[in-house]
Amino acid sequence: MAEIRGKFTFPGGTHPPENKHFSENRSIEPVSVPKQVAVLLSQHLGAVCVPTVAKKEAVLAGQMIGKSDAFVSAAIHSPVNGTVKDITLLPHPVIGRTMGIVIDVDAENNEIKQPVNGQFDKTFNPENYTVEQICRAVKEGGIVGMGGAGFPTRVKIEPNPAMPKEILLINACECEPFITCDYRVMLEWTWQFLAGVRLAARAAGCEKIRIGIEDNKPEAIEVLTNAVKELGGKEDIRVVPVKTKYPQGGERQLIQSVLGKTVPTGSIPPTIGVCVLNVGTCAAIAEAVATGNSLTHRVVTVAGCAIAKPGNYYVPIGMRVEDLIAYCGGLTETAAKVVMGGPMMGFAIADLSTPLTKTSGALTFLTKAAVTRAKHEKQQTPCIRCGRCLTVCPEHLNPTRIAHAVKYFRMDIAQDYYLSACIECGCCSYVCPANIEITGYIKTGKLLQARAKRRLG
Amino acid sequence: MLSKITVSPAPHISQKLSTQRVMGDVIIGLLPAMAAAIWFFRLQAALVILTCVTACMASEWICGVIRKKENSLWDLSAVVAGLILAFSLPPAIPLWAAVIGSAFAIVICKMLFGGLGANIFNPAMAARAFLTASFGMLMTTWTVPATVDSAMPHISATNTATVTQATPLAWAKSAIKGKAEVTEANGLLKNTFWGNVGGCLGETSSLALLIGGVYLLIRRTITFHIPAAVLIAAGVFAAVFYFVNPDKYSDPLLHLFGGGMLICAFFIATDPVTAPLSIKGMWIFGAGAGALIMLIRLAGEYPEGVMYAILIMNAVTPLIDRACKLVPAGGKPHVQ
Repeated sequence: MAEIRGKFTFPGGTHPPENKHFSENRSIEPVSVPKQVAVLLSQHLGAVCVPTVAKKEAVLAGQMIGKSDAFVSAAIHSPVNGTVKDITLLPHPVIGRTMGIVIDVDAENNEIKQPVNGQFDKTFNPENYTVEQICRAVKEGGIVGMGGAGFPTRVKIEPNPAMPKEILLINACECEPFITCDYRVMLEWTWQFLAGVRLAARAAGCEKIRIGIEDNKPEAIEVLTNAVKELGGKEDIRVVPVKTKYPQGGERQLIQSVLGKTVPTGSIPPTIGVCVLNVGTCAAIAEAVATGNSLTHRVVTVAGCAIAKPGNYYVPIGMRVEDLIAYCGGLTETAAKVVMGGPMMGFAIADLSTPLTKTSGALTFLTKAAVTRAKHEKQQTPCIRCGRCLTVCPEHLNPTRIAHAVKYFRMDIAQDYYLSACIECGCCSYVCPANIEITGYIKTGKLLQARAKRRLG
Repeated sequence: MLSKITVSPAPHISQKLSTQRVMGDVIIGLLPAMAAAIWFFRLQAALVILTCVTACMASEWICGVIRKKENSLWDLSAVVAGLILAFSLPPAIPLWAAVIGSAFAIVICKMLFGGLGANIFNPAMAARAFLTASFGMLMTTWTVPATVDSAMPHISATNTATVTQATPLAWAKSAIKGKAEVTEANGLLKNTFWGNVGGCLGETSSLALLIGGVYLLIRRTITFHIPAAVLIAAGVFAAVFYFVNPDKYSDPLLHLFGGGMLICAFFIATDPVTAPLSIKGMWIFGAGAGALIMLIRLAGEYPEGVMYAILIMNAVTPLIDRACKLVPAGGKPHVQ
């Protein structure tokens, strides 16, 4: 195979070790049904869902168990047949604690859910579905952006006369180290993924479809390019290889790399006519529209040195981390950190009973060696003003200045240096020789800012 | 097993890079110049370097004890300060003066400002300025390198103990003042490059400094911006004067290789703590330092201007940082 070199990229960024070898060659494997699942009521950006079931009520797989009337929100569904055991506070990887529905699985009446990729091939015709049908299926399926932010997909793809969308950009970069779930979806569920892409483009009214993919995945680039050729050019779909660099898969960075367009600070892509969707989300759209299934299962990458059986697993959303660890052969003795997500942007969890959510693309198990000694022992030394964080910042900010302003509660200075423009990619902390948690300080600053606004409002 | 799992903000991995390693690289980069200093000035050089480094480390340790702070010797910044200070002293400096200078550098210029990362002025340069103001005579006595044949010209045997020699830049200054022929200074160019001339300990050999500078660039410990800005600005400045009046002003190459120009460009101006953060700021800082050095050398009273140029630019660094505030990739937000 000829080596594929991406031509396009963005300024800044860094090159953490990719570490995809743990799981990139492992096929997607459905896991056995756990004894209990816990479905969180807040797995997305926007309003928290209200439970639509009561304690001790029997639920069926795919049944809606929580919803919200707010525009920016997404319904949640039970992944299994069972009974509601409790509706209570549960650990959440990002926001600490939140309400969730605990369901005892009906052990005799459950089959392992298999992927539906076999139902799709190149003859799939998105024009068999109307825009309304697609939007309703996406809404009822509770589909959210599965790359990490969890923005409700319906809001993204629904036609909006105020902001017409021209280009659908598929984010197939997967620039985070360790994560391979989207890569496997592209290789194994190629036609399902492309069906979802075409459905989303039809719903959003996008004429052009661009698939941005890092050049460290030559097999996926080849498979997709051939598949697009087989479709026969009915739609304007192009696979665009981009340079391998973190955070190439940042929405704003990818738009810059592939389309050469800049999203204004503080705005979202639709303001410049672009809709960005993640690979897993597209596969979920296809499933929801074609089969009527809700988003109850997703592919999760399990990787790192500290887990016995790394791989890509097809997991019910709501499965607890400890159950998945047990399925994967358990943690090794050297485990130092359990991260929900990748090592650059993921959230370290202390409570292994935390359930997986719609946005958990990976579980990374890091050893002390992988974390590095300085980071493990939290040794921070003073900032020597070397400027490395400025050089790698993909948003051209002054991370050290913002972080130190937050450290001394000078929110005025932090805002003056564009605190809110930070995308929290973590490049600054990654390169810092003084090992300062720059990104951590900036995240704290954003929380302080939000709290201050709430108090004023 | 659970107790072993830790949490902290993302990212959970980091580049294997530490302040200690950055400083260690600077020390390695200074090794060729140290070897050259010891080759040209023998025992004197070794003693001055050893004294400065030891005195700086001792001062840092004592300050740590007094401030009840963790021992900060391991970040190696005291060693770097000691080396740079030693390299900017004349070989014949009495060791007690070197100790005073080292203590001033660490205690007054670094620790009183809050330690590593908080000092406004480059400690070594500020200490050198202090020594120049206090012991002017000691700071301008230039011993002849041990490798120089004492029958060579330009040597004025003064007292019995040491043989001294005017530095190439002193010759250049004399030429500007009309007290000497400019060819005398230009004739020293070759020796200046190899290091076979009088001058401060670490400044003599341009070759050794260039090797160290290239090492730092390859290791990405420094970026090319500041050295390039210093050398381009100084070179252009010197070249303009040279082409206007070559009978009065010496060869621009003599200014680039002579005196502290190279150690300034690669090791002193690139001190991250006292230089601007942004690339644009680095260009301004470097160009300002280069131009000031030449302004002092060509129009000032002193033959050499590195020290004051660096101190002046250190003082304006906060202003440069403020003036070169970065604009976010997506432009300035409308409502902040």
